[in-house]
Amino acid sequence: MDWKQLWEILSAADNVPIIAMIPLLAFYMYLAWKQAHANDLIIAELEGNAALAKTHHRKAWPFKPGWAKEVHVWPFLLRVEFLAAIIVTIILMIWSITLNAPLEEPANPNLTMNPAKAPWYFLGLQEMLVYFDPWIAGVVMPTLIIIGLMVIPYIDTNPLGAGYYTWKQRKFAIGTFLFGFIILWVSMIFIGTFIRGPGWQWFWPGQTWDHNRLIYEVNRDLPDLFGITSNWGKGIFGAAVVGGFFAIGGMLVHAFFRRHNAKDYKRMSLLQYSIMMTFLLTMLALPIKMLLRLLFHIKYVWITPWFNV
Amino acid sequence: MPEKPIPENDPVVSKSLAPHYVISMVILMATLFWALWDEDFGQRPWKAFQHEWKDRYSTFLKTARSQSRDSQKDVESSPDYQKLKQDYENASQNAAPRIKEINEKLRDLSTMILAVQNVFTDRRAYVNALTYSIETETSASSKQSKQKDLASYKKEKTAVEFPDGKKQDFDYEHLEETYNDLKNERTQLSAELGELIKPVNERKEKVDAYVSEHMVSLTPTQMAGLQDKTEAWTPKILQINVPEANIVDRCESCHMGIREPVKLTAAAMSLKDKKPDEYARAFTSHPEPDLLKIHDPEKYGCSPCHQGNGRATTSVEKAHGTYEHWLWPLFRRGNMEAGCQTCHAADMVLVSNDVGWTLSDGKDLFRQRGCVGCHRYEGYDKEPEDLLSVAQQIKQLEQEKKDNFKQADDLMKEADKAESNEEANRLNDHAVALKVTNSKLDLRIVQLDRSTKSLLQDMKKVGPNLKDARLKLNKNWIPVWLKKPSDFRATTKMPNFRLNDEQIKAISAYVWQSALTDPLPKHKPGNAAHGKELFETRGCLACHSIGEGEQLQGGTFAANLTRVGEKDNYDYLVRWVHNARERTRPYCPYEKKDIGPEDFKKKGLPFVFDLEHSRCPNDSHELQVQNMTVMPSLRLAPQDAEDVASYLVTLKKQEPSAYADASFMDDPNLRAEGKKWVRHFGCAGCHEISGLEDEGRIGTELTIEGSKPIERLDFALLTETAQRGGSEPITDLDDLARLPEGPAKQPWYDQKGFFEHKLAEPNIWDKGKDKPETEKLRMPNLHLTKEQIRALTTFLLGSQENPLPASYQYRPMDYRRDIQEGWWVVKKYNCMGCHQLIPGQRTSLMAMARYQGPDGQEQLPPKLLTEGARVDPEWLLRFLKNPALNDKDTNRNGVRSYLQVRMPTFSFSENELGKLVRFFQALARQPFPYIPEEVPVLTTKETEMARSLFSSTAAPCLKCHATGDPAHDRTATAPNFLQARGRLKPDWMERWIIDPQAISPGTSMPSGLFRRENNHWVFSGPTPPSFQGYDKDQTKLLVDYILQLTAEEQRRVGAAMGRARASSGSAPSGVKAAGNAGRGGQE
Repeated sequence: MDWKQLWEILSAADNVPIIAMIPLLAFYMYLAWKQAHANDLIIAELEGNAALAKTHHRKAWPFKPGWAKEVHVWPFLLRVEFLAAIIVTIILMIWSITLNAPLEEPANPNLTMNPAKAPWYFLGLQEMLVYFDPWIAGVVMPTLIIIGLMVIPYIDTNPLGAGYYTWKQRKFAIGTFLFGFIILWVSMIFIGTFIRGPGWQWFWPGQTWDHNRLIYEVNRDLPDLFGITSNWGKGIFGAAVVGGFFAIGGMLVHAFFRRHNAKDYKRMSLLQYSIMMTFLLTMLALPIKMLLRLLFHIKYVWITPWFNV
Repeated sequence: MPEKPIPENDPVVSKSLAPHYVISMVILMATLFWALWDEDFGQRPWKAFQHEWKDRYSTFLKTARSQSRDSQKDVESSPDYQKLKQDYENASQNAAPRIKEINEKLRDLSTMILAVQNVFTDRRAYVNALTYSIETETSASSKQSKQKDLASYKKEKTAVEFPDGKKQDFDYEHLEETYNDLKNERTQLSAELGELIKPVNERKEKVDAYVSEHMVSLTPTQMAGLQDKTEAWTPKILQINVPEANIVDRCESCHMGIREPVKLTAAAMSLKDKKPDEYARAFTSHPEPDLLKIHDPEKYGCSPCHQGNGRATTSVEKAHGTYEHWLWPLFRRGNMEAGCQTCHAADMVLVSNDVGWTLSDGKDLFRQRGCVGCHRYEGYDKEPEDLLSVAQQIKQLEQEKKDNFKQADDLMKEADKAESNEEANRLNDHAVALKVTNSKLDLRIVQLDRSTKSLLQDMKKVGPNLKDARLKLNKNWIPVWLKKPSDFRATTKMPNFRLNDEQIKAISAYVWQSALTDPLPKHKPGNAAHGKELFETRGCLACHSIGEGEQLQGGTFAANLTRVGEKDNYDYLVRWVHNARERTRPYCPYEKKDIGPEDFKKKGLPFVFDLEHSRCPNDSHELQVQNMTVMPSLRLAPQDAEDVASYLVTLKKQEPSAYADASFMDDPNLRAEGKKWVRHFGCAGCHEISGLEDEGRIGTELTIEGSKPIERLDFALLTETAQRGGSEPITDLDDLARLPEGPAKQPWYDQKGFFEHKLAEPNIWDKGKDKPETEKLRMPNLHLTKEQIRALTTFLLGSQENPLPASYQYRPMDYRRDIQEGWWVVKKYNCMGCHQLIPGQRTSLMAMARYQGPDGQEQLPPKLLTEGARVDPEWLLRFLKNPALNDKDTNRNGVRSYLQVRMPTFSFSENELGKLVRFFQALARQPFPYIPEEVPVLTTKETEMARSLFSSTAAPCLKCHATGDPAHDRTATAPNFLQARGRLKPDWMERWIIDPQAISPGTSMPSGLFRRENNHWVFSGPTPPSFQGYDKDQTKLLVDYILQLTAEEQRRVGAAMGRARASSGSAPSGVKAAGNAGRGGQE
C-alpha cells in the first residue's frame, strides 16, 4: 500500500471537491431516504384513513391538532435559508483562504502532462473516451444527456410525488436517476480521479503511479472475435448486435416495466414510451460497454467508417 | 427504528434558531478577521521581513556608526587631514573680515533698494499704463494731450524716505537711475562675495572628500542618512521592472540589504547572541559588489543570473521557484555560477575575483575530458562540422565545374556543325563563357581548400590516433587497458566503458587489425639520464604529470607518464617526442582514405607530406597531414628526442613482456564484431580510427540541456526514489564518493540531481533494468572527483535556452570578441600551463620544486599579463609561427635563450594565429591594427649620452641581458637587446624601464632606475656631465638607443663594461673606457 501516493492524490487541491463530494453524497442520500421513508409510512396510513387524509397537512410529521396548516415563508423559511447562506459563506471563505487555485507551470506544447486530466466535473466524460469514439463520447453522449434531461417532464406521466420525498410513489423515476447519477456520473468521476494514473492506466487506490509501468493488454473488436474481416461485414454485424441489444434489451425492460410499473405504463402514450425506452436502453448500454472493455477487452462492437461504438 | 416523540408545538414555528445564528455569526466574524489578516500579512510574508529589516539594520547602523565615528577620528588625526583642515581654516579666516564687511553692505543696500523700489514700481506702473493707452489711442489730438500728461507726470517729484530717516525728492527719470545703480552695486558685491567664498568651499570639499576616501566604511554622516532612511521606511514591494527583457524581480522586497552601500554579513544581521536565522541570511549584502557594477541590477534584475520566480511574493518557496511547477528554480549555492553560463556561453574563461572559477573549470573539463566527442555543444569542437560543410560545398562546385565543361564541349561540337558562322560564334561564345565561369569556380574551390587546411589543422582529438596502434602500442597491453583504464593510470582521460570480456576482445582486435602497418624507422637507444633531465627541464611537465598519488607532479592537461614504458614502443616514442604531429600516412577527407607512398608514386611524387605539401596526389584536395593532437613540437634535436624516449621507456612498474598473451587480436573473425562495438561506444569521438573517420556523435546534444523539462530526463526506475528522497541508489563506494553533496538525504528529482548522479555513476539509470548489451546506457564512467562533478553540473545547469533578448547575451563585436575567441585557443593548447595570463592564476610549473626560490623563478616562462602592450603584433605572429625565430637553428628559444624550458612550436593554423595575436592585443586594450611609431634617429651626441646610461654601472643592463656571447649568456637571465627592434613597442619599453615591478610583479628587472624631476624622467644613478641642459625624458632616449642598437655596438659596449668591471675593483673612481663609452661610475 503506497500511502504517500494515496495522500498526494487525496490532498491535491484539485481533488478536494471530489473528496468532499463523497461524504456529502452519502449524507444527502441518507437524509432523502429518511424523509422518503417517513413519508411513505404516512402515505400508507393516510391511504387507509380517508378522514385523516382530509385534515392532515404537512407530510413529514404525523398529525398534531395545534399545528398551523400552513406557515409563512417569512420568517419561517427565510431564517433557515439565511442561516444556510451564512454557513456556506464561511465554508467558501475558509476554502479560498486555505487552498489556492492549483495553477501549474506555463503550458508547453512539446511536453504534455501525464496523466492529463480534465477538471473534476468533466472527468466522467473523459472516462467515457476510453470506451467510445471521441465523437460518440464527446459529442453524441453529452447531447443525449442534455436532451434526455430536457425530455423528462414530457415523458413523466406519474402525477404523484411532487413537493415531497417519497420512494414508493416514484420508484422508477428515482431508481433511474440514481443509476444515472451515482453509477454513470459520480463513479466515473471517482475512477477518473483516483484510479486513472500515468498513461491513463488502471491503478487501484494505493498502488504506486509508476510512469515506467508497462502492461500487456490487447483490445479486440467484437467482429474480429467472430472472424469477420470485410468492412461491410463488420458494419452489418455491428448493426445487428446493437440492434439485437435494443430489441432483446427492449423486450426484457418492457416485460419488467409492465410488471412492476403497470400504472405508469398505462398512462404513457406510445411516443412517450418509446422515447423513454430509447434513453433507458442507451443508459444501460454504457455500463455494459464499459464492462465489455474492462473485463473482456472488447474495443468496439459496431465498426463503420464514420463512427465506432 | 424507535419512534421519536412528536413535539407539542410545531418545531418549524416554535424552534429558536438563535444559538445557531450566534455560533455561525461568531465563526463568520472570525473568518472575516482571518481573511483580513491573510490579506495583509498571510499573503505578504515580505512585510515581516521588512519590519525585521528595519529593526536589525537600524541596530546595526547604530553600532556601525560609533565605530565609524572612531575611525573618522583616526582619519582626522592623520597629518594629511590636519594639513587640509588647517588649510581650510586659514582660508576661511583670511576671507572672514571682508566677507563680513560685504555682508553688512549688502544688508544696507537691500533696505535702500526696498525703499526706492516701493515708490518706483508704483510710478512705473502708472507710466506703463499711460503709455499703453497712448499707443492704442486712435485720435491724434487725444494722443497728443495724453503725451503731455505723461511728460508732466514724469516731471513730478516724489519723496523717498530712506531707512536712515533721510528724505529725498526724485523725478521719474532720476528715480529710475537711482534704482538701477543700487541694483548694480548689489550685483557687484554679490559677485565679489562669491569669489571670496569659492576657495574656502573648495578646501572644505577637499576635507570631506579626504574623509570619505580614507574611511574603510561609510562616514558617520552617511550612516546617519541611511539610518534615517531605514527608520522612515514604510513596507512596500520593491521591484525591478525591465519591460524590454520582461524582467519583474521583487527579490529585494525581502533581500533588502543586497544593494546597501555597507557590507552586511549574516552574522552582523543576526539578533544579539543568536545564530544567523532566516532573516539574517536574507539581509546580507551581495557578496560580489564588483559583479553588480558590471551587471547593473536596474537593467539585469536578479532572476536572469540567479533564476527563481522573481514575481512571486507569497512565500519563500514560491519566490525561489523551488516548487514543482516553476521551471527555473534558484541555482543552489554550489552551482551559483550556472547563471553566468546562461549569457556567457561563448566565453571559455569567465572570471571576476572569486567568481567564475567553477564554471570555467566545468567548461575546461567538458572539452578536455572529451565530452565533446559524444555530445554536441554549440561552439565546442566545431571543426568537424565546418569541415563537412566545406567539403560539401567543394563537392558541389566540382560537380558544377564538370557539368560546365561537358556543356562547353557539347556547345563546341554543335558550333562545328553549325549552319551559319553567326550561329557558330554564338555557341562558341557561350562555351567560352562557361569556361570563364569555371575558372571563377576554381578560385572559389581554392579558397575553400585554404579554409579546409586551417580547419584540418585546428581539428584535434582528445585521444591518440589509433591508426598508429600497431606502431605504438604493446599489443598485449591493449585488452588490459580496455578492462578499466583507471586501474592502469588513475588520472587518465580515457573513461571506463564497463566492457565485458567479449567486447574487449572484439574491440582490441578491431583496433589492432584496422591500424596501419607501415614500417617505423629504427633508433638506437639514447641516454636515459640526459633524457630525464630534458624531460624535467624542457617543460614537458607543464602538461604531463609523472608519479602517482602523493608523488604526482606536473600538469593535468595531458597524460600521466608514470607507466608509459609498459605500453609504448621506443621507436614510436622517439618520433612522437621529436614531433608528435608527424603522421604515418596523410588522410584524405575527400576520398576518405589514408594516402600511402603508392598513391604518391602513381603521380611520380616523393612520399612527402607536411603543412607545405598538403595536397592529395589523387585529387589535389587538402590532406590531413598532422596527427590530431595538441601536443606541440619542442624542437628537440633527434639525439635529444632519442634520449627523452629512452627515459620514457624506463618508466614502468612491470616489464611489457609480463602482459598476458593476446594473440586473439589477430583473429579476423572478431573484426566485424569489433567494429560494431567501436561504433556503438562512439570511440571515434575521441580517437582517430580507420574506417570511422566520419562517425557522428553518439550522445545527446547538451547546448540547452539545462532547460530540458525534468520529465525529459529519464530517471527510469529511480523516479520514485528521486522524488521521495529514498535511500541513495548509488552503492558503489567509489562512485558514491563522487557525489558533490554526498549520498542523497532529501528528494533529488531535479536537473541537478540528475546530472550529479549521472556523472557519478553514468549507468545509474540502468539500475534494476533488464536490457540487452546494445541498449544499456553507453556513457562511460569518467572517474571524476566531487569538485569536477560540481563544475560540470554547474556548466550543464547553466546551459539553457535563454529567454532574454539578444542584447543581454554577451556577444560583443569589439575587442572583447577577440578576447572571447582567443581564450578558446589559449585553453585548447594549455598556454596557461606555462604562462600566467590572469593575475593570480597559477601555472602548472609554478607549483614544482624546480621553480621555487629566486633562481627557480628566474627559470619560469614569462608572464603574459601585458603581452599585447609589449610586443608588435607582426612580430608576435612571426614568433608564434616559429618560436625559434630562426629557420635553421631551431633547437633553442627565440627570445629567452637563457631559459631551459622551451616555448614549443604549435603549428597553429592561419586562423588560430590570427585569433591569438588579436587576443593578446585586445587583452591589453591595444588598438588594432598596430601602426608602429617612427623611432627618431639619434644624433651622435644623443647616442653618446644614451650609451653612457646603457652602460652605467648603476644599471649595468648587459649584466643580465643576453648578448649573444655564449660565455656571457650562460649567466644571462633576460633577453637580448637586439631583439627589441621590431618586437617591442617603444612606449611599453619606456613604461617597463620606469617600473617593471608594476607590470610584472616578481621580475628581476629592478624598479626605480629613473625618477621624476621637473616633469621629466631622469636617471636615478649618477648622470654623466653630458646631460647638462638635456631637458627631455631620459627614458625615451634610452629606449630609442636600444631600438637602434646594433650587434657591433652591443659588443663594443659589453667589452668596455667588462673591462670597466674588471678594473673597477682596483680603481675606486670611474675609468674612462675605450670608444665613447662615457663614464663608468662606481659600483
